[in-house]
Amino acid sequence: MTPATALEAVEAPSPAAYVLEACDVSLSFGPTPALRGASVSVAPGEILAVMGPSGSGKSTLLHCLAGILVPDSGEVVFDGRRVDTLAEPERSALRRDRFGFVFQFGQLVPELTAEENVALPLLLGGARREAALREAREWFTRLDLEGLERRRSGELSGGQAQRVALARGLVARPDVVFADEPTGSLDSLAGEHVMELLTNSARDEGTTVVLVTHDARVAAYTDREIVVRDGRVTTAPGRAS
Amino acid sequence: MIRLGLRLAVGGGREALTRLAVIAVAVAIGVALLLVAVAGTNAVHAQNERYAWLQTGFATPEIAGGAPAAGPVDPLWWSLRRDGFDGEEIGRIDVAATGPRSPVPPGIRALPGPGEFYASPALTELLDATPDGQLDDRYGGTQVGMIGPEALPAPEILIVVVGREVDELADQTDAKEVTSISTVSPSECGGDCGSTFGINTDGISLLLAVVGTALLFPVLIFIGSAARLSATRREQRFAAMRLVGATPRQVSLLSTVESSVAAVVGMVAGFGVFFALRSPLAAVPFTGARFYVSDLSLRPIDVVLVAVGVPVAAAVAARLALQRVQISPLGASRRTTPRPPRAWRVIPLAAGVAELGWFASVGRPATTSSQILAYLPGILLIMIGLVVAGPWLTMVGARLMAGRARRPAVLIAGRRLSDSPQAGFRAISGLVLALFIGSASIGTIATVVAAANPAGADADLLVQQFFLEPLPATSVPDGLVDRLGRIDGVVGVAVVHMERAPTASDVTWPPPVVSCADLAKTPSLGRCPDGAETVTIDARFTGAVIEGAPSNTDTVWPASDVPIDRLDGLPVHQIIVVNDGSTAAIELARTVLETTVPDRFGPETVSELNSHISRDLRQYQQLANVVILASLVIAGCSLAVSVAGGLTDRRRPFSLLRLTGVPVAMLRRVVAFETVVPLLITAAVAAGSGFVAAHLFVRAQMDRNLQPPGVAYYAVVLAGLVVSLVVIASTLPLLERMTGPESVRNE
Amino acid sequence: MTVPLALLGLLEREPSHGYDLKRDYDTFFGRGRPLPFGQVYATLGRLARDGKVIAETEPGAGPERKRYVITEEGVSDVETWLAEPVQPEPHLQTVLFVKVVLALMSGRSAEGYLDAQRAAHLDRMRELTGIKRTGTIADALLADHALFHVEADLRWIDLTTARLSALAEEVGA
Repeated sequence: MTPATALEAVEAPSPAAYVLEACDVSLSFGPTPALRGASVSVAPGEILAVMGPSGSGKSTLLHCLAGILVPDSGEVVFDGRRVDTLAEPERSALRRDRFGFVFQFGQLVPELTAEENVALPLLLGGARREAALREAREWFTRLDLEGLERRRSGELSGGQAQRVALARGLVARPDVVFADEPTGSLDSLAGEHVMELLTNSARDEGTTVVLVTHDARVAAYTDREIVVRDGRVTTAPGRAS
Repeated sequence: MIRLGLRLAVGGGREALTRLAVIAVAVAIGVALLLVAVAGTNAVHAQNERYAWLQTGFATPEIAGGAPAAGPVDPLWWSLRRDGFDGEEIGRIDVAATGPRSPVPPGIRALPGPGEFYASPALTELLDATPDGQLDDRYGGTQVGMIGPEALPAPEILIVVVGREVDELADQTDAKEVTSISTVSPSECGGDCGSTFGINTDGISLLLAVVGTALLFPVLIFIGSAARLSATRREQRFAAMRLVGATPRQVSLLSTVESSVAAVVGMVAGFGVFFALRSPLAAVPFTGARFYVSDLSLRPIDVVLVAVGVPVAAAVAARLALQRVQISPLGASRRTTPRPPRAWRVIPLAAGVAELGWFASVGRPATTSSQILAYLPGILLIMIGLVVAGPWLTMVGARLMAGRARRPAVLIAGRRLSDSPQAGFRAISGLVLALFIGSASIGTIATVVAAANPAGADADLLVQQFFLEPLPATSVPDGLVDRLGRIDGVVGVAVVHMERAPTASDVTWPPPVVSCADLAKTPSLGRCPDGAETVTIDARFTGAVIEGAPSNTDTVWPASDVPIDRLDGLPVHQIIVVNDGSTAAIELARTVLETTVPDRFGPETVSELNSHISRDLRQYQQLANVVILASLVIAGCSLAVSVAGGLTDRRRPFSLLRLTGVPVAMLRRVVAFETVVPLLITAAVAAGSGFVAAHLFVRAQMDRNLQPPGVAYYAVVLAGLVVSLVVIASTLPLLERMTGPESVRNE
Repeated sequence: MTVPLALLGLLEREPSHGYDLKRDYDTFFGRGRPLPFGQVYATLGRLARDGKVIAETEPGAGPERKRYVITEEGVSDVETWLAEPVQPEPHLQTVLFVKVVLALMSGRSAEGYLDAQRAAHLDRMRELTGIKRTGTIADALLADHALFHVEADLRWIDLTTARLSALAEEVGA
């Protein structure tokens, strides 16, 4: 395949169909600027990789898109509505009902069993305990976690714990899944397993995925990538951002 | 949602359960303390109610209260006197009924007739045990019954109700005719009661409140330390929940449920501890007399307030604590070093000292209430100032330590302390406050007690009878002096007359005069100049006055110009019996004096007189020791909890250090230095401030200098410091266990 | 394929004699394998014939005295070559390296070229990953092998991007 053909295959989607957009977002932590006018547009069902060197601001961009952080300036739009102007309880509700999260570590609640962890977003949303657990258990089969429902997070291997986190991220059937180095602490095989499951599930349900990674092999599972450098999204010549 | 909170509370594994258990213990101690203070107040009131009937005759009828009698009432003659035996107080009530419908005091079936008396159970026992002549002759007659408990303020109190002839009693100077028994407790009289037998509850209530508060601060600090355990882990857990979409309100609800569970468990345990402590506590004479166990009771409102209030307070505190932290979904990933404390922090401490110092130089304010207004802000400022200045002091000490460190352990400890001195000081803040309170109170009390207690060597050798109104010479029966002289153990008798009979225009009593013949037989009271027959003495004659006088053995009194033959006709002011200090001699002399020349105040030894004044102080001293000890223990517990918690938080870095070859002993030294150094520095400052505060207080209030405290103080402080060091040392073996290689496994 | 373009790129920097040209090539790109004189002159001749360079004779004897100057066409050739990403194949470091150095020397944006190259690499990796998921185990193994190599190149690209300013100084850009 010649490079030219490869370029054609990844044309930018049409503007009206974006599910998630960041427009000229800037954010500083104290005196240190993390983002300086970063912009990105994500189409529905797209699996997007956010790459860049350490300290470039890619995780911060993810946090702004997910409504975890509020930028100092710029806009974040999800499904036509502004996210950065919402109050904290509303953004929490958004994270609970419309988004899913898979981070690198420390995301499972150690006091709860695996199935309770997966059911947590549903419980927080007010679902009844039995119904929530039933729905959670379905994911255990889908993600090769059979038999581990009653285990605590300390009793799971790294790969198992990440798959549990993935199940939790998908259980509420979110519109967007945000992943930050989800395979960072896993070996190649475990990591590929997680990526395969993530992308397969996303493609099956039509879920959009925004994935921060520095690993090219992980990015190879995505549809498209953007590069964040020094707080800005840089565009490769011939590619749209 | 609540169910989720409960799951989180109990499902956290050993670490979380330990934390909840520690919080529950701390809350239990606090609740028990609170209940003791409340029950104590109730007990004091209950006890005082039973003193009410002793106020009969002192309060005016409007104040005395009491149910108006149905129908006509025969008046009752009544007198109350204070007697003593072997250092114990005896209350003596003489009654004479004028008719069948005279009011009857509580506790007895009917008024005793002449030659009869009722005695309290303890006095009954004493009468049985005492040899004849020393005690029973005073009441002349037979005991016809025991006084019931409703009339006895304390179980072991000594009270006797003696029946007399009406005309005999009516002649007594201090007897009054009353038509009802008083039901007004001493504190409600507003000072009009004038009884010498009873207590003023205002002082005791204030004392209980102060003691409760003084102990409550270390307990609150303890609860705070317990709540801060596993802080990082809990923060991580809450951050994970926030990431997944829990609102801040949901997270604080979960935290509140957790805290409430621990608080409820602690509260129930606290009630249990209180009920277990009731009997031993009742035996402690807070008010000078013991309580009945049933006095230490809780009213229903008390129970409800505590049972509901404590969990609610815990929930509110948990809510507020989370408010400040604002858990973000990203957890504590971005931690900046907090700003170092600045030198201005010593200002409140200095201001408090300056405030007290100003009063020390200017002198005390006029009234008691304005005195409280004057001293309290100073003391509070110093206490707050210690807590505020603590981190700065820690940082200064830490910098010195790190700058001059030659060993790596000292360097690490010093740097860590200077980076977060607030955390380092927090663990020992309870101890610092306890030491300040202890030093200030013991210093003050030691000085006041020394002031009130003259170092008279003759304290027990003198039995003296003051007469409230000088006794006309004719009232002293002949042969009294001889009778006294014949008692085995009596060395001599001195009869002190007045120079002349007092007149209405006299502002003070006329000067006292005594014969040289008497003085010759009682050399410890002073000497006559050669050739004199009578001498004029002064108020410090027996050293019995509060100002505190040395013994008079070497005093040569100035000669008086009252001729010896006129002396016997002059009114008598005092009769003093010098004896050998044996109980038999003292009590026999007392009995003789009481039966021949009874007066409102019974005869007393000098030490008994002083003991009335300093008895309260000595009790306060003991109470202060107990408070200091208790607060040191509680503060020690909170220190242990803080140190253990800190170890858990730094488990991973320490384990990694061990793996790279750092010996455990060095890590132990680091932890030890981190705690011991701030402790020693701030303890010295706290004790010093306490003494300075006490010194300024006694200078202002009593114009005296601070008395160096006795061995008890040093023992207590040393015990406290040793306890803290032991506590710190006992957590160090934990360090070895916790930093084993399994804690560095990658999860 | 690279040598003529490399020489063209060097000439774009400044016109020079054949001798100097060979010396520069050896310094920057030779790395232990110096270019034979014959190849240099033969390549220059071909380039002149194609109109990419102009040979200016100077008075004096021998072909060494000719001065070569790049033409407009030659410049445009260099540009096109620089802008075009190379096929992501193993062992293409030399070509990429040459391109980066020349871009730096001529003041063009080496970063942009590297970004374009990275995008091409990632697309290739996507293709290979697709094969892994849909093919047999044997296909997957072969695809993994290629993936690792392409990834290695990508890592080199990342490192070089980070070192661009230092490299620019060294080559005197």
